[in-house]
Amino acid sequence: MKTIFFTGKGGVGKSTLAAAAAWQLAEKGYRVLTVSLDPAHNLGDIFGIKLHHRKKKFTSELYLQETDLEKAADEYIKNNMSIMKEVYGYLKTFNMDKYFSILKYSPGIEEYAALTSLEKILTKEEGCFDYIVFDTPPTGLTLHIFALPGVTLAWIERLIKIRKEILEKRYTIHNIKGKYIPEGVQLAYQEKDDKVIQKLYELQKRYEKVKSVLEGDDNSVSVVFNPDQLSLKESERLLEGLKELGLPVSHFFNNKLTEDNLKTAESVEAKLKKDNKSSTIKRIYYNDDNLSKGYMLNDDIAGLFIEQEGK
Amino acid sequence: MSNKIVSKIKNFISGVEYVHRDQAVSHTLWEERELENIFTLLLMGSFSGIPAPPAFISAELIPLLTHELKIFNNRAENSFDTLAEMTGVLGID
Repeated sequence: MKTIFFTGKGGVGKSTLAAAAAWQLAEKGYRVLTVSLDPAHNLGDIFGIKLHHRKKKFTSELYLQETDLEKAADEYIKNNMSIMKEVYGYLKTFNMDKYFSILKYSPGIEEYAALTSLEKILTKEEGCFDYIVFDTPPTGLTLHIFALPGVTLAWIERLIKIRKEILEKRYTIHNIKGKYIPEGVQLAYQEKDDKVIQKLYELQKRYEKVKSVLEGDDNSVSVVFNPDQLSLKESERLLEGLKELGLPVSHFFNNKLTEDNLKTAESVEAKLKKDNKSSTIKRIYYNDDNLSKGYMLNDDIAGLFIEQEGK
Repeated sequence: MSNKIVSKIKNFISGVEYVHRDQAVSHTLWEERELENIFTLLLMGSFSGIPAPPAFISAELIPLLTHELKIFNNRAENSFDTLAEMTGVLGID
């Protein structure tokens, strides 16, 4: 299963190109799932249908999905709160449990919701599709989502190390002193009984999966930009971020070209190409016909990703 | 009568053994508590201004850390009484 991420500044045409790539791949007989991770969805608008949190069949080969980040955040909070309420059940008496719900506006929750959705899709759809095409949110959020598995794993590894030391100490105490029951609570001294380390292992497994997909050979990251200086500047920042994360860019899409902006387009291309010699640049000319059914672009987008298979 | 004496001697020996075992692990007990405290402190880093893991890791683990949170709380209460803590660990009365 191959994954393709379309990234770039807001409004450059990521969704249109993701939709076009997915449509063309499906037309060639590949089983394709297109997922929008952008909170400001327009994948459904491009295909002219209403999409939901769950995948929807568009043709026999093409499925579409718009992840509802707010819903994903709600699900996450609800799931965690059900455990929290067992511990802090008394808050119900004071009708204070409703204040837990505002946690969804906490910093980082949106990235986490997007990452969780990504992880769920990769796990659930493994083997069901030949390609999963992701339409991502604008630069900042996308970089956070890409960075999160690595950052999270570094923390989890550190916490596991400390937890193991705690369990070793408890084991020693148990062996010398007998049952270790401080304040009437029997504490786990073996990994298999310790819910905390088990939870950490579970989280580690989940994020390693996402990280391995992102860094794997079957993943490609494309950057979409427009022939203007603002778009160039943001693309440069995006490239810097991707480079730091060790995610090479496979393709650039110079979108919305016209005869008027051709000169700017060439200079922008030259600047981007300078540091990314191995990436290809595909030009997409602005065409009124493309506006009616955006996914039916005349330009061959899918071919770029299929060619990679032969390499 | 002799049974009573034997049982008292047994109790005395097991008492001595318990005290010795208790002394032997006192330092490990202290280390274990401190590690639990550090573990919780790392998870709660954002409260105290030290680098903290992504909030959702803390959110996932906190419901499982009732015991550690108690230690964390006690440690915070006694944090200014380091002399007592040290003498306690070294067994000085």
